[in-house]
Amino acid sequence: MMEFVLGHMNYWLFIILMMTGFYIVVARGNFVKKIVGLNIFQTSVFMFYISIGKVAGGTAPIYPIDLNVDPSVTYSNPLPHVLILTAIVVGVATTALGLALIIRIREAYDTIEEEDILEIEQAMQRKENAIEGSAMGGRA
Amino acid sequence: MRHHLILRVITKLIVPPIILFALYVQFHGDYSPGGGFQAGVIFAAGLILFGIVYGLRKVKKVLPPWLIHKLTALGVLIYGGTGVVSLFFDKAFLDYSVLASYPKDGQHYGILAVEIGVGVAVAAVMIAIYYAFAARPPRINDEDW
Repeated sequence: MMEFVLGHMNYWLFIILMMTGFYIVVARGNFVKKIVGLNIFQTSVFMFYISIGKVAGGTAPIYPIDLNVDPSVTYSNPLPHVLILTAIVVGVATTALGLALIIRIREAYDTIEEEDILEIEQAMQRKENAIEGSAMGGRA
Repeated sequence: MRHHLILRVITKLIVPPIILFALYVQFHGDYSPGGGFQAGVIFAAGLILFGIVYGLRKVKKVLPPWLIHKLTALGVLIYGGTGVVSLFFDKAFLDYSVLASYPKDGQHYGILAVEIGVGVAVAAVMIAIYYAFAARPPRINDEDW
């Protein structure tokens, strides 16, 4: 049992980190904090992929400069690294998009708190209903 | 940040080594950890630091936005064009062996050209994102802080 828990340590740490990020996304109303949570969530997936690509005792999978590969040396699996390199680039792009949306939201609503924005939206809706209602004979 | 003397002096000292390190990572990318992505981000980080400390106007004098927008396209063009070049020499797409007299040298030049394309594109996109965010008018003046 203990061996199972310790042998899958990267899985447990991945789950803890992922749920930490997920909790921040769900529980916080501030949009910048939501982006931070999303980034923690994303990083947990990166860490998971890189940890399953690790071969015990393996070194960095780089060709020796004279191209003579020593068969006795074990290398880690480079495929997860390449996948995650792409994922990091995509992550930067999504973070930039999220922050750009936050800037536009702040310019439009003057706040970046989710609850304040919902309140403003409801107030606008009520005002609109009042106007539409009087146009239809006072029933709204 | 006119009043932050220490930040200004340290930035002036540290920006050239950052850019030099970016070029090191760029050109050693085929035999050691590194490559276009990392080099582009390090290069952009150096210029963004310069922009944060000395103001957007000065960094836009070094790299005007129209040039940055051209460079993003140029980087992708180098990246994709390197693969297309071998098509003109009756070889398959991405077969870099034709780029030099020895196939091994050709592979070397090919990967170097691809890395340069990636580096230019990533650095330009990073700086373009910084310009897009920083060019918005601030709500509080620098003097009012």
